[in-house]
Formats: sequence, C-alpha cells, structure tokens
Amino acid sequence: MRLSSIVYIELYKIFRKPRTYIAFGAIAAIVGLIQLGFYADGESYMKFGMQSLSDSFDVNGNIMNGYLMAFIILQTLLVHVPLLIALVAGDMISGEANQGTLRLLLTKPVSRANLIIGKFIASSIYTIVLLLWMAVWALAISIFIFGADDMLIMKSDMVTQILASDVMWRYVAAFGFAALAMLTVSALSFFLSLFAENSIGPIMATMSIIIVFTILNTLDLPIFNMVKPYLFTSHMLGWKGFFDVTVNENNEQIIGSIENLPAVLLSAGVLFLHVIGFLSASILVFRRKDILS
Amino acid sequence: MLLEISHLTKSFGSFTAVDDLSFSVKEGEVYGFLGQNGAGKSTTIRMILSLIRPTKGSINIFGMSIEKEREKILQQVGAVVEKPDLYRYMTGYENLNVFARLSNKHISKAEVMKCLELVGLDKRAKDPVRVYSQGMKQRLGIAVALVHNPSLIILDEPTNGLDPQGIADIRNLILMLSKEQKKTVLVSSHLLSEIEQVADSMVIINKGKKLVEGRVNELLNPDKVQLEIITDNNPLVKDLLANSVWAKGLRNSPDQKVLVDTTADAVPLLAKYLVEHHIGISSLRSMNSLEAYFLSLTSGNEVE
Repeated sequence: MRLSSIVYIELYKIFRKPRTYIAFGAIAAIVGLIQLGFYADGESYMKFGMQSLSDSFDVNGNIMNGYLMAFIILQTLLVHVPLLIALVAGDMISGEANQGTLRLLLTKPVSRANLIIGKFIASSIYTIVLLLWMAVWALAISIFIFGADDMLIMKSDMVTQILASDVMWRYVAAFGFAALAMLTVSALSFFLSLFAENSIGPIMATMSIIIVFTILNTLDLPIFNMVKPYLFTSHMLGWKGFFDVTVNENNEQIIGSIENLPAVLLSAGVLFLHVIGFLSASILVFRRKDILS
Repeated sequence: MLLEISHLTKSFGSFTAVDDLSFSVKEGEVYGFLGQNGAGKSTTIRMILSLIRPTKGSINIFGMSIEKEREKILQQVGAVVEKPDLYRYMTGYENLNVFARLSNKHISKAEVMKCLELVGLDKRAKDPVRVYSQGMKQRLGIAVALVHNPSLIILDEPTNGLDPQGIADIRNLILMLSKEQKKTVLVSSHLLSEIEQVADSMVIINKGKKLVEGRVNELLNPDKVQLEIITDNNPLVKDLLANSVWAKGLRNSPDQKVLVDTTADAVPLLAKYLVEHHIGISSLRSMNSLEAYFLSLTSGNEVE
C-alpha cells in the first residue's frame, strides 16, 4: 500500500477528531490575550523595561512593535506547545489501541513499518500546521496590530538591535527550528504511545520527561553537565540563536549575520538525530509488538 | 486447503493460551471454531491475522506463510476480531471508506454503499457511529471485513451482544456469503447451536487444545444421543440399564443425574423398560452426544 494513502487517511482521522482543534483554539486564545494585554498596557510595561537603558541611550521609534511581540510570544508559548503536540502525537497509537481500531487496522494489508511512518508523517504535518498557525497569530497579526519596526531585544548584559529589514528571514528560520524542536517532542510522544492503551499515559510521560530534562538543564552540577549536551531539551530553544547578531568595529549590526551559527546547527543536528532515533525505535518496537488490545 | 494451522502454540509467560493446535479449512466451506470463553479462539484468530506472533507452529493461507507474505495474504482476507470497534467520531460511511482505502484495492463509492446495503446500514450511512446500536456496529464491522471482496472471511464471535433478530441476520449473512458468493468463512463462537446452523466443518478447542475436529453432520450424528435421566431410584436404574442392550455407556453426572449413551431409536424402548420396572421418572432429556460433551465443558462439569 502506498505511503501517501496512509498519510492521507491518518490526516483525515486527525482532523476529524474534535480534540485536534483544542490546540488551535488554545494558541489563538493565549496569543490573543497576550496581544490584548500589551495593546492595553504595553507602553507602561515597555517604559519599565527600558528604565535602565534610558540613561545611556536615546531610544526612538516603535519599540513595542509586531516583531518584538512575536519574540515575546514565541518565548512564552514554546514552553506550553509541547503539551499540545503530545495531545495528538501521544494518541496516534495508544488512542487506536484504546478504541480497539488498531487490531482492525492491522487486519488490512498495510505493512507495520509503513503504518508507523505514515502515522508519524501525519502527526508531523499536524505539528507543522500548528506552528504555522502560531506563526500567523504571533507574527502576522502582531505586525497588523502593532506595526513593524527595528527589533530591540534586551538581554541580561546587552541590548541587540535588529533592523526591520533583517528580521523576517530570522523568523522564518526560527519557526523552522521550532518546528524541528516540536517534531522531537512529537516523535518522543509517538514512541511512548506504543506502550500504552490510552493517550493520557504518553502525554503525561512526554511532559514529565521534558520537565525532568529541563530541571537537569538548570542545575549547574558537574554530573549533570556531562549529559546536558545530549538532552534534546538543551537544544529546544536554539531558535533564539537566529536573533543573536554580530556587529562590526563601529558596533553596527551586520545584516544577515548570526553570532554563533555552528551552535545553532549543532542544536538542529541533535534534535534531528533524536527524531530519527525515536522514529526508528518506534518502527522496531511496533514490528514485533503483539496486538492484544 | 485454504487455511492450514499446524502445531500452533502461543504462550504468555508461563500461561499457554494455545497449545499445539492444528486444523485446516477447505476452500468454500463455513468452518466453525468452537470453544468456551477463554479457550483460545481469539488468540488463534489473532495469530492467523498476524496480530500476534506464535510461540511455535505455522500458519499457511492460500498456500503462503502469514509470517512471510502477510500483506499479500491480507489482501484476500476480511476479518472482525472480537467486538468491532470503529471510529466513533466518523459516520458509518466514513469508517467503511477509511478501511476500504486501506485494502490496497480501488473501491468506488458505489461499492462502499453496496456493502453498507448488504449489511442493512445504507439508510444510516451518514449517522455517526457513536449513535449506532451494538448490532449496527457489529454489522458495520462485518461490512469492513467484506468491503474489499475477500476470499476468506474470519468472524470472531460475530453474534456477541446481539438480539435474536440480529443473530438470525448474521447467520443468514454467513450462509449467503458461503452459498451465493462462494466465500470461505471461519466463524468462531462459544455456542454450539450457532455453529451447528451455519458450519460445514468445525473444531472444538478447550484450554487452547483441540478436542475434536470434523464434519458437523458427522460430529452431530443424530443417531448417537446421550440421555439425562432423573428418577426416584438411581441405583436401581443403573442396575437395570447395565444389564440392558440399549445402554452403550453409563455414568452419574455431578448433580446426581444418570447419563446414558445410547441410540436415538432406543430412547422410547428404554423409557418403556424403566416404567415397566416401576421407576418414577421425573425428567428424561435426550441430547446429541457432542452437544452433551460441549455442555459439560461449558458448565465446567466434565463427565466422569
């Protein structure tokens, strides 16, 4: 059976399920609330944030613009989006086992490996569509409401200014990277769904793993420092690297520059290897699995 | 042989669900697969469909090994395993269409509707499955098994949870598939009466092991019967029958009935003989010997 047919059927099933739209609704609601909040009180918020800079810099222009809003939203949401991803990916196999449809599916002439690959591609498409939805809300609607201007990013020890003409491609790249990070979550959740007969288990397990790994990342202890480079959670925020720019000798931004491209690429590589690892493990496990549900 | 099961064994840890089971199904016949609940029928069917791996033994369908030619074989097999669970959020038509697409054959909308018509669901095709009754789900499950026009149909307890009319409908459907469409059907049940009415051949299993296999009309030979007698003087009845020419076998059931193996034409003579010896007969029940045997298994009281 053609893989494309399986992907089509799996996408049809995903988008016929009411739970799929919870994630879209949640993202629209959260982003809408953040935008509303900043629209109402953003100016005083920004003044407070800029207090320390106003003595040293003369800041002109629209600081609280759509680009900055998108950056704030991305930082906030990418913590919660894994749950929304796991909601669907964690249900791909366990949900079928729970409903009893898995055994009916496997009485059809579909190879088990193709079924897993097809299901994974479908859940990946869902993940990418969800991120596109997030991009539309976080970026397009923010620009529509707040306008576009140079982007000012405040960090603990410095302020980065990115010219408006140099921002959009960074967002495209950042969303691409975020998609890879979320695909890693999706692949993990998908893998865990092989071992459960209801979707709660894989969803909870995925979130628990992310929380535990994130806590490990924050602990600066030698024993944990050894494993940190190998944890996918250490690399999930690698998209921020696209907003670190290099400056010339006059302290002016170099258009199109990324301060530490190798680090961004390394993070992307680690995430990609995790996706391949989880998917391969899923195929291996599923090919030998007794369907008892 | 269309389906050949050879020395099939499935163990889950120390528990053996199917134990050295062998049987074969000929092309075009309805084959009954009989056993109590938990006898190993569904486990066997899952192995036939490659849902679970056998611990030992082999399964050949259409002359091919299911282990090696799974997808090729399943193109020609339609099955419902245990209760037919379907996508509750989809309509009956959508469910059938999804499974039709997975069959690796081009199946038109008209063919899908025809299949729904065959199981009497064409008028409810647009209703979501969550509002279907158990019987409707069962019929839709059978439609899923039939939609790609398979040669071998495997139905695992297809009448479970159905009302008498639903049971009769499924029975007629199986007979129609066999007689008119020349399909081979493997149907499992824990009720002998169901298998008796549709099957040409059958196998009975208990605790994963084969007890008996053969043609239904030979196994359910109406000439051989078992009498179950309740009287006011069982010891005297046993003495009298032990010396008679009619009793081929004689024993007590655990609930103090006298069980007599005899022939159908001897029953009235035997009854008359007991009455002539002033035995008070409270009950005299004649059963086919296989039915009696199966009942003893299902009641958990094996005869002595």
